Amino acid sequence: MTAMNDRIVFEDVSKFYGEVLGVNRVSLSIPSGVTTLVGPNGSGKTTLMNLMTGLVQPSSGQISVFGLPPGDADRFFRQVGYSTQFDSFPRRLTGWEFLLDSLLLHGMSEGEAFRLAGEALERVRLGDAGSRRIETYSKGMRQKIRLAQAIAHHPRVLVLDEPLNGLDPMARAESLALFQELSRQGMHLVISSHILDEVDRISDRVILITGGYIVAEGAIHQVRREVRDKPMQVLIRCDKPELLASRMFSANHCAEARLHVDGKGVFLRTGDIDEFYRLLNEIAVEGLVKIDTVAPADDDTHAIYQYLIGSEGIPS
Amino acid sequence: MNTEAVSARVKSILVQPWGFWWLQMRRLVRIELRRNLFSRKAAWIYFLAFIPTAVILIHVLHDTHPASGLSLDTNVLAGIVQFYYIRLGVFFGCLGIFSRLVRGEMIERSLHFYLLSPVRREILLLAKFAAGSISALLLFGSAVIAAFAFLYAAYGTAGLDYVFHGPGLGQLGAYLLIVTLGCLGYGAVFLLLSMMFRNPMPAAMLVMGWEAINPVLPSLLQKISVASYLRHLMPITVPGEGVFALLTVETEPVAGWVACLGLLTLIVIVLAYSCFRIRRLEIRYTTE
Amino acid sequence: MSVYRHEYRAYTGKLTPLWTRVRVVARYALGEAWSSRITVGLFTFSMLPVVVYLIGIFLANNALARVLVMQGNGVLEVNSGYFLRVLSTQCWFAVVMTAWIAPRLVSFDLADNALPILLSHPISRFRFVLGKFIALFLCLSLVTWVPGLLLFAYQGYSCSKPWMGANLRIVTGLLLGALLWIGFLSMLGLALSSWVKWRTVAIGVIFAAVFVPAGVGGIITAILRTRWGYLLNLPVMMTQLWQRFLGAPPTMRDDMRLPTSAIALVLATVCLICVAMLNARIRAREVVRG
Repeated sequence: MTAMNDRIVFEDVSKFYGEVLGVNRVSLSIPSGVTTLVGPNGSGKTTLMNLMTGLVQPSSGQISVFGLPPGDADRFFRQVGYSTQFDSFPRRLTGWEFLLDSLLLHGMSEGEAFRLAGEALERVRLGDAGSRRIETYSKGMRQKIRLAQAIAHHPRVLVLDEPLNGLDPMARAESLALFQELSRQGMHLVISSHILDEVDRISDRVILITGGYIVAEGAIHQVRREVRDKPMQVLIRCDKPELLASRMFSANHCAEARLHVDGKGVFLRTGDIDEFYRLLNEIAVEGLVKIDTVAPADDDTHAIYQYLIGSEGIPS
Repeated sequence: MNTEAVSARVKSILVQPWGFWWLQMRRLVRIELRRNLFSRKAAWIYFLAFIPTAVILIHVLHDTHPASGLSLDTNVLAGIVQFYYIRLGVFFGCLGIFSRLVRGEMIERSLHFYLLSPVRREILLLAKFAAGSISALLLFGSAVIAAFAFLYAAYGTAGLDYVFHGPGLGQLGAYLLIVTLGCLGYGAVFLLLSMMFRNPMPAAMLVMGWEAINPVLPSLLQKISVASYLRHLMPITVPGEGVFALLTVETEPVAGWVACLGLLTLIVIVLAYSCFRIRRLEIRYTTE
Repeated sequence: MSVYRHEYRAYTGKLTPLWTRVRVVARYALGEAWSSRITVGLFTFSMLPVVVYLIGIFLANNALARVLVMQGNGVLEVNSGYFLRVLSTQCWFAVVMTAWIAPRLVSFDLADNALPILLSHPISRFRFVLGKFIALFLCLSLVTWVPGLLLFAYQGYSCSKPWMGANLRIVTGLLLGALLWIGFLSMLGLALSSWVKWRTVAIGVIFAAVFVPAGVGGIITAILRTRWGYLLNLPVMMTQLWQRFLGAPPTMRDDMRLPTSAIALVLATVCLICVAMLNARIRAREVVRG
């Protein structure tokens, strides 16, 4: 299999809804792992996911998943599972029937469909509720049954639009663990979520989108490094934070310093991270300050979002 | 086109996963039949189909049946098929069944589950059409058979004689053919309308109006009407009277096989265009 | 000790009288109804027969024009039969208008779960429905009795003889017949729309509610050999009623004609059922999923 045939590829894709811009000139190549789509309301995240799965068709450009276009439904949807944001289901179906109908359309035998439906219900921890009608489900349970339907046929690509919405903290943690496990098994996961802190923990890369345009794409640390006009913030745990801050200021490698609330650390902001780390090494070698830990403090999706998109748009 | 190109074309058709598509089609039809026939929302279609049967049953149980009434009741049954089933029962029944198949699922925001399954959209459309047709045929066909059976059973030997040694069975066959073609014809039209318009009802009411004014249109335009084809298959012509006259379609005489073929051609054209439309269908529930 | 400054004051200004709030609902409903181009198109289309009838009245009262246009063929008489045709035509346009407008007025509120919000305002269920009813009634008036009265006035003006005074029964019959019909249609349209969540479906249901019982009534009449089947047939019932109101000659056989009291009873019963349906449906409650 060629490298491109193992990726989700957008080639100069635009989508217009009449005169309204959905997404504009998007080119992406998404490898396996967890990719998070981040952007404010109406930025084009759902459009991007719908384009990826053929629910809407591009005004221009081409999309393929593992080299398959969404129009080739037979083969395409055996590889792809999509849990949409639409909170509606066919009427009067139980969770079981919903999953079975879906699996039977994949061409599986009834026995196999039965087994996979049971497995999917177990994976999302909905086992007991499977025999109940979906109309009676809570919002969180409906979210889970959508997820179960998307993963039941063991796809290689899982597209999840706001998969943590409506879930309580325990269920969110379970879902994130499931995503992490699926990612470890080599699956492509594309997730849009506004619960950035939690998604951030499992995310390998991020795609930031606003107004239909991709503003950044790549591994989170890499993207953060690319945002050069915003000084990076580093948290250093040490025994003499004031002394460390003064040394940094004197060497002109620090733009801002803020003591940690417990007094045993300092947040330092620098415009030249390489020089900053070099100087930190020198200080550590000198032995004047005993350094315990050094960690980036704004090297996460939330910070990148704030820097690139701003605080006016609440991510969703 | 040379022989090689033809054989390559034939090969490419043969290598398609026909067995898989057939399996998907059967499973889709099963799912759709369950939704069409076994839901509370389908109750009104049962009502539309079986209300004449119920009235006939009351007639059978309540009234006396002298042999002289046989020919009158035969005419009444023809009138029921011609004026009620074709113009109202099958029309509104198919409107309900077939516009639910695609547009109804768009309104209820559940169509995306089908579009996200590994089913070619053409297969999906044809399966939905097949399921809709089977549902309509089961309901209206069995209602016509039941009405026919009740009506002639009430006349005892005279009735049995009319059915088995007279024109009775032939008439029943003709009625079933008419109902079948009516379901398929209106079904195809309403399926297409529901895909073309967000609100197919104004268009459907225009179709109703079109069918009503069809008799006064030029001969060529009369051919674009389901009811006009069906009327030529009627074994007994019932002249319109009073308000029924408004619903009568008077078209130039056409042979039965031409009427069948014409209607089937209309259905094939409409289905082909529907397949073309569904390939471009987008899920944009917010505009529903 | 914390010190809070309570600056919030509830509104204590003047309020409009309670009964005028209905106008707000009616005004918005009218705006909703006429915001659709199809409503405007239907209205325009429904005026075409009025123009034809207007020309008819002109020809009937203008000998020279009659000779030029009709070349002396046929007699054109403007009488109760003529206005019965006017009333029948316009009243069937009213059915189409009802099927289009009524679901717009109610189904949107139900489908978007706006009803609890609307009813959380100081307006009762009755006034809410009344506002919608007034809007629909006004829309239907525009295509029924308003053009009918204009045609009557034009005939009175065009006729050389003192015509109006001698034909007051026509105008009262026309007005009464139209008001009864559009009142009935407004009730039916609102009740059916309130029970069908989706506008698209509601349109079909309103049409079916008028035409399917007519077919069933026809079957009952034909199979059971009884005129009472026509009590399900709105077109037949209303035509008979309008004929009596306007004093037009009957078109059905004597043994097939229905007593006025029976027709009135059916219309009243249907209206009561509609009120019960609206009462059961229009409540400030959560829409149950599914």
